[in-house]
Amino acid sequence: MTIPTEAGTSTQVYQLYINTAAEEVWRAITDPATVARFFFGQVCEATYEVGGHLRSWSPDRSKMWGDNVILECDPPRRLVHTWRSLYDPDMASEPDSRVTWEIEAQPGGFAKLTLIHDRLDDSPKTAASVRGWSYILSNLKTVVETGAALPPLM
Amino acid sequence: MEDEDLVFKALADPTRRLLLDRLFERDGMTLGELEAEVPELTRFGVMRHLGVLEQAGLVVTRKQGRYKHHYLNPVPIRLIYERWMDKYRARQAAALLDLKGQLEERR
Repeated sequence: MTIPTEAGTSTQVYQLYINTAAEEVWRAITDPATVARFFFGQVCEATYEVGGHLRSWSPDRSKMWGDNVILECDPPRRLVHTWRSLYDPDMASEPDSRVTWEIEAQPGGFAKLTLIHDRLDDSPKTAASVRGWSYILSNLKTVVETGAALPPLM
Repeated sequence: MEDEDLVFKALADPTRRLLLDRLFERDGMTLGELEAEVPELTRFGVMRHLGVLEQAGLVVTRKQGRYKHHYLNPVPIRLIYERWMDKYRARQAAALLDLKGQLEERR
């Protein structure tokens, strides 16, 4: 018997360990200069408090990529915000989904980062496209651990 | 054991690859749902294989109410991919995979 659940295909989970302190991971995901290095060079501006906006643009600032709202903010452990892909008209017309960043300090000075992208039920195009989180997150790991950024995805 | 060893060991088993295939098709299944997907395995067998996949980081579980959901975590595979794939080769390999896909679709 299959029990329909709220989770299912509408939720995506990504997890990795980063060889640094939880506070450093928090800093990396909230510092615009660092975000630009692991996230397609995007320019971002944010007020990290509940209700604050998290806005992002293309590297030359000609196109708005995202205008999201912070739903939860608990440094250096938890950041939750809405997600809508404004860089693509088809995806921009889909409803908001939700991104949760969870950072857990681990023994040995490691941090465990879990990213949950959910509420994707009515946003199939967005759901297919954000599979690229693997690339973003492994890039984040490289940036934090080595200081180098990976070349852009084609 | 190194993280990468755990990933390769986990992927070296056809049943575990089958479980990942099922999660790729429908992510977030509970143990009961996964059991139904591979009727040839006992509940204990499914649990044991899921344990190996979870230890390797290829499956991440999240509790939601009474249910534990299993998610395919592609990050460890991405990390292995990046170890040997530079940006130039990645583009050529992707082009070949596209070609393979198109040719095979036409058959």
